[in-house]
Amino acid sequence: MAHPPDPATIPPTPPAARRTQVLLALAAVGMLALMTYFIATMNLPTWVRVVAGFERNAVPLFRGFIDPNWGVFDLASRAMLETVFMAVIGTVIGGLLAFPMAFLAANNLLGSRLLAFPGKTVLVGIRTFPEILFAIIFVAAMGPGPIAGILAMGINSVGFLGKVFSDVVEGIDGGPSEAIRAAGGNDLHVFFFSVVPQVLPEFASYLLYRFEINLRAASVLGLVGAGGIGAPLIQRLSFRRWDEISMIMMVIVVTIIVVDTLSSSVRRRLV
Amino acid sequence: MAVPDPATSHAVPLRPSIASRLLNWGTWAIILALFVVSVRQTGFNLEVIGEGAFDFVRFFRRLVPDWRALPEIWRPLLETIQIAYLATVFGTLIGLPVIFLASFNTTVNAPVMWLARSILTVLRSIPDLLYAAILAPILAIGPLPGVVALTIFTMAVLAKLASETVEAVDPGPLEALRAAGAGRNRVIAYAVMPQIAATLTSYVLYIFEINVRASVVIGLVGAGGIGILLNRYLSFFDYGGLGTMIVVIFVVVLAIDQLSVWARSRLI
Repeated sequence: MAHPPDPATIPPTPPAARRTQVLLALAAVGMLALMTYFIATMNLPTWVRVVAGFERNAVPLFRGFIDPNWGVFDLASRAMLETVFMAVIGTVIGGLLAFPMAFLAANNLLGSRLLAFPGKTVLVGIRTFPEILFAIIFVAAMGPGPIAGILAMGINSVGFLGKVFSDVVEGIDGGPSEAIRAAGGNDLHVFFFSVVPQVLPEFASYLLYRFEINLRAASVLGLVGAGGIGAPLIQRLSFRRWDEISMIMMVIVVTIIVVDTLSSSVRRRLV
Repeated sequence: MAVPDPATSHAVPLRPSIASRLLNWGTWAIILALFVVSVRQTGFNLEVIGEGAFDFVRFFRRLVPDWRALPEIWRPLLETIQIAYLATVFGTLIGLPVIFLASFNTTVNAPVMWLARSILTVLRSIPDLLYAAILAPILAIGPLPGVVALTIFTMAVLAKLASETVEAVDPGPLEALRAAGAGRNRVIAYAVMPQIAATLTSYVLYIFEINVRASVVIGLVGAGGIGILLNRYLSFFDYGGLGTMIVVIFVVVLAIDQLSVWARSRLI
């Protein structure tokens, strides 16, 4: 018969585990101290200002969600459609530019890490910049409008797509390529009949994923003048037309949820 | 010796099924069709790309950094990092209980799980910059709307990512604790947390990287940080300041990213 263990026989916490506990506690204290310091030095508004702002702006915004202003629905859905078009073009441009980058940044295709290094560095550099920063620069360089937004998304997507595409290329099965070589095929044959067919489904899946990200980005590009539904939104924000803002927000939310659901159901089946 | 049957041998890769090939080509066809429609509707063409690239290069050449702008960049830069840090901490603290409500193996009951997931889906569908733009008039121009906007974003993304991890944990320890009479909180603390701690930390670091990028630009809509100064440089055509700022943003974001990537690679 089993006896309940005597508390005295339960071994003490091993030293390694105790060290981890101490380290975790120290990290938590450090993070809390940093948090307190940041809050103390931050330039925060007064409580009165926040309450006033809430009454003046948040209340009409929420009233707009309950009783939407259908007057702007037409305009909002047309602007949202333009936003979707922008995201599509931005994603495709990103994909077209990322396609060659993927092979230029893949260790296995180039045969060495050193040769893939420049490609990988360019991709890291592009990924470092926030998308909106690209949009601002394009708007400043070529004037406001959807074209600036499309180009910003296109460039920014290359950073992400180039990276994931090259990961896909690095993960392919070497068998088919060897088989083609053994049958007398050259590098071009290997590329078109082994590499490309293997990577296409995953490329498509990542393109769709990036499209979901770009649609979110495209919805706010207008806030900095780069076209899409953000343009009517920022106008109404500066005039505090809260009933219309809530309608526009609902159009954005519904569109994004629908597109996400469709796109992720295709992606689940693709890979 | 028997010749291996290609249909059953694992050494011989099977030809992909018709359905999966159809899906693959179908997806590409849809992408192409969407592209054609979009180009038609927006009047986008190759000439536009050429002009855009030309304008971009011409503009970029003017961006010669003027290092005298550095001292005034310093403070808003610090504010940007503060916003990202605070939002990540608050978002994680608020998001932690939501993770378990939204996972089928740790939730209270089905309606609660469904409600938590729906709220998260809606919250995630709103881009962070949009939160910032809407909160700026409500919570006064400054860092506060930025912190709140990114906190909401952090919570929604973390809860979604982490609840997928929670649902994939080994059910053994959970069952063992339940069999011994442990309640929901004990099961989470002693069976789930040890299994997800490393992944969770890695997600938090990843979201911090995203938050740093976001907090750089939310100032453009009045939500604090370096973006407010960026807006001023832009409206005064201060190319020297703009160039300095772009270099500073690049270096800081890259440094934080690399640190975080290094830490994440050690974690898992």
